[in-house]
Amino acid sequence: MRQTRSEILGRALRTAVRNPGRTLLTMLGLAIGVGAFLAMVSFGTGARASVMEQFELLGTRVVYIWTNMNRRDFGGSARPLTDFDVEALKREAMTVERVVPRITEVQNVRSAQTTFPTKVTGTMPGFVDIREWPLLVGGMFDDTDVQQRAKVAVIGTTVAQALFGRRDPVGETITIGSNLPCRIIGVLTSKGQQTTGEDMDEIVLIPATTYEAFLGMPIGYHELMLQVRNIRLLETGMVEAVPIMRRSHRLSENDPDDFRIASPAQAAQVARFVSTILTGLLMGIAAVSLLVGGIGVMNIQLVSVAERTKEIGIRSAIGASPRQILVQFLAEAVVLSFTGSMVGVALGWVASSLVARAMAWSGNLSVLTIAGAAAFGTSVGVAFGYLPARRAAQLEPIEALRHE
Amino acid sequence: MSGFPIVDAGGICKEFPNMSAPVLDGVSLTVDSGEIVALRGPSGSGKSTLLNILGCLDGPTYGTYRLGGRDVSTLTPRERAWVRLHYIGFVFQSFHLIPDHTVLENVTLPLYYMGVGRQEREARAIELIDRVGLSHRLKHRPAQLSGGERQRVAIARSIAGEPRLLLADEPTGALDTRTGNEVMSLLKEIHEARSLTLIIVTHDPEVAAFCHRQIFLRDGKIVDGEYRHAANA
Repeated sequence: MRQTRSEILGRALRTAVRNPGRTLLTMLGLAIGVGAFLAMVSFGTGARASVMEQFELLGTRVVYIWTNMNRRDFGGSARPLTDFDVEALKREAMTVERVVPRITEVQNVRSAQTTFPTKVTGTMPGFVDIREWPLLVGGMFDDTDVQQRAKVAVIGTTVAQALFGRRDPVGETITIGSNLPCRIIGVLTSKGQQTTGEDMDEIVLIPATTYEAFLGMPIGYHELMLQVRNIRLLETGMVEAVPIMRRSHRLSENDPDDFRIASPAQAAQVARFVSTILTGLLMGIAAVSLLVGGIGVMNIQLVSVAERTKEIGIRSAIGASPRQILVQFLAEAVVLSFTGSMVGVALGWVASSLVARAMAWSGNLSVLTIAGAAAFGTSVGVAFGYLPARRAAQLEPIEALRHE
Repeated sequence: MSGFPIVDAGGICKEFPNMSAPVLDGVSLTVDSGEIVALRGPSGSGKSTLLNILGCLDGPTYGTYRLGGRDVSTLTPRERAWVRLHYIGFVFQSFHLIPDHTVLENVTLPLYYMGVGRQEREARAIELIDRVGLSHRLKHRPAQLSGGERQRVAIARSIAGEPRLLLADEPTGALDTRTGNEVMSLLKEIHEARSLTLIIVTHDPEVAAFCHRQIFLRDGKIVDGEYRHAANA
């Protein structure tokens, strides 16, 4: 006849409850280990998701070209980005579906009530498509508006709030700069803040032609946005765009590029790679702390076996077999490790929720991660509990009995 | 009541690695079933070592030991544990109760290791605790009991597995005279009720007077093993 598993575990639990000091000490290391592990995983994945979100705000299929006009090292030799470049890219780049130029400068924007200095962007209707940025109300200006240099504007929610409060801004007129009155025809959905603190919703869009005619465009566009046909063509798109731009700017073979080209999605891949390494590193550190927690279990259990030598002697004298004593101490390790891991799960969960709230990340601890950490913590504890349990089982009954 | 030998030891020697002289030097001894035997002798005479070997806590270096007709001198630790569990009960001078266990839990322990189900072992333990007069102390811890009460609990535990051989090592050594006498009477009652064989290590002539027979040890040898009936046997 054998003792049932629930009976063995029940006794182990009872021992744990009756010796709270020893129990807490044993669990502490594992709890902290498991908690740290979960917290690290949560921070890692949260940070990564947040980085990815930031890049997605800039469009997932976009290649950016910037002018070097404002850079000193080009000594003014750089050519501006113009409609001529836009047309060349549209005509020649096979991978590119859409080319949208943009100029942005801070201007005073006035409503009847108030003035709000904000970023005003002259661009094309494709801007909202390329940035994957739907409108909340109203519509985007169209090609006709561009041709006619129409005095129309689409604004972000922050601007709408600042100028019109809770009122519907569509149909209202704002004055941009000294004397460009524009009728508001649409409001963009909110994109919130970037990690840099930049408010994405602080934006006013007007047709590029209107911008050029009324606000002036002395050094051309600031930026060209190229949307490739699909995300796998990002690299090809960048390779393809460079010679087109060089020809368009009539650069000779030895001239350096007078523009810069990059893609946030590509940067995102680098960021993803870096954050994967970082997450791995954090998890490695956390795994070490778990291991240390396991060693803690072993130490306390070893002390406990030494402290309970007499008890082991008594049990042995009564007739407990070495195996029964081994099982008893293993069961105690199981109970302590499992409980400790559960406390660790709670700690990790609380820590990651707090950080997630502070950083405005979404909760990201999967059930699988939690279960995995708990299982790992328990196994580590039990594995390290084996040595002390075996030591207890191998004690000589007479020696153990004599122990004080 | 008595009859075949339950303990039959021949030429038992026990040597320890760090000692020059053997602790037991050719001890031969038979104890019949139902006997009460006192084991006496000065400290260092080898009484406790002999008791450990008779109790299967340890094996002899040389010699044979048959317990109830079965050779137990060359068992593995695991087999010795089995023999202790099923054949032998111990009563110690310092009680050796498990401090974080209640009276009830201490007494059920041998039955737990035998694999007796919870309900049955608790019922049997309660009966035994009642037998030693401590049914009002079931949920107490050893620290909450007096010395005499603790020894009664230890006695209840020692017979819970219904052993055939009960070994007591100075059972009254930590008790005052009156309590000691009570404990001895209890042992005697139990002996009679259960036809146990009882071997008691003692210094105390009063305790020895309870016994059918006294065996004297000196320097690892039996110097006097005269058989006599106790006056009140």
